[in-house]
Amino acid sequence: MVLNAALTWIQQHQTTHGEEAAAAAAAHGAEQNTGEFILHHITDQPLIHLPTVWGIDLSITKHVLMMWISAVFMILLFSTLFGKAKLVPRGLANMFEAIIVFLREDVVKPYLGHDAPRFEPYLYTVFFFVLFNNLMGLIPGGASATGDISVTAALAILTFVIGLLAGMKEHGIFGFFKGLIPPGLPVVLVPLLFIVEVMGLITKHFALAIRLFANMTAGHVVILALISLIFLFKSYLIALLPLVGAVGIGLLEVLVAMIQAYIFTMLSAVFIGAAVHQEH
Amino acid sequence: MDLLSPQAGTMFWTALTFLLLLFVLGKLAWKPLVSALNEREKRIRESLEKAEEAQRQAEKNIAEYQAMLEKARAESQEIIERSRKTAETMREEIIENAKKEADRLLERAKKEIALEREKAVDEIKKLAVDLSLLATRKAIGKALTPKDHEALVQEALKEIGDSN
Repeated sequence: MVLNAALTWIQQHQTTHGEEAAAAAAAHGAEQNTGEFILHHITDQPLIHLPTVWGIDLSITKHVLMMWISAVFMILLFSTLFGKAKLVPRGLANMFEAIIVFLREDVVKPYLGHDAPRFEPYLYTVFFFVLFNNLMGLIPGGASATGDISVTAALAILTFVIGLLAGMKEHGIFGFFKGLIPPGLPVVLVPLLFIVEVMGLITKHFALAIRLFANMTAGHVVILALISLIFLFKSYLIALLPLVGAVGIGLLEVLVAMIQAYIFTMLSAVFIGAAVHQEH
Repeated sequence: MDLLSPQAGTMFWTALTFLLLLFVLGKLAWKPLVSALNEREKRIRESLEKAEEAQRQAEKNIAEYQAMLEKARAESQEIIERSRKTAETMREEIIENAKKEADRLLERAKKEIALEREKAVDEIKKLAVDLSLLATRKAIGKALTPKDHEALVQEALKEIGDSN
């Protein structure tokens, strides 16, 4: 599907270039079109146009559709697997339960301690939401919603808001901001450090969004670039090399999809834990 | 659309989708799963505690049984020892009694023999007197006077006494 799309894309653009400059600009044009083709594939496209409300364009885009598909899949999968959770799980339920128990014992409990039960639904949902959306990009015809800065930013903001609210509930609004500053600091340094700590708080959640977005996008760009090489060289002999490379990167992507889902979940747990337990 | 600029619409849909997903999964999946996990944890902890308790009990029982066994062995040893001693004394007693009995019987037998012998000697003496009297009467042909009798008897008795 990706190959066909690339072929038609390149053909269309080459025909529109005109016959006279075709020979001279062939190489240059192909390169430019390749860039456009890759960008087209990793950026979001509106599918259903909806009106703009309060300056927000509510159009249903490709990534929103992918998100909904994965969300419906998750609800169907997990409600059938865990709806009647048995004492001794079997098969697929056992596999997913092993993943959840791993998250529970190695991520949620160490970073959140006795507050774990309050936040574990959020962290499990975030893990599988990120994981399935990462994997959606590897399915032909699918796309990674997590390779979209809007999606990762929304998730990072959710983690930020949850940490902020939980921290303020625990320590009070004033107490939370007071807790950001290490005790025993000279009074002169307090305003400076307050600014630094608040910036740090925002930055680490910003990095959380960028990390997931960049990791997912980079993999797709590499795969698309390798496939584009086939159409640039137009040689069966050379086609073999990018193909092997694309398959290899694709396998790596499976690994990255899981690692990034884990990292996003772990860091969310760490940030929420840090907000709730401020004693450094 | 630009790659690096977040779209408010997509962010809105993401947050909405995610929160709905969180709500639905929280109700349908995570709640039963977490309670099952906790239940299992509790079960395992209880089973381990029970097993430990059972082992402790078993060890205690083994120690008890061993002590009982040891006691029984000592007791049986003692019983054997005691009965051996009893048997020994009984054996000696029986032998002693038997010896006494045998001695007594022997003694009585000897006495009886001696008595019988005396009786027999007396009888023989009487018979000898009677026989000699008879013989003398036959030889002399007539009865002697009691005086002769007496003299003869004394002579004869003397002879017998000497030969005896």
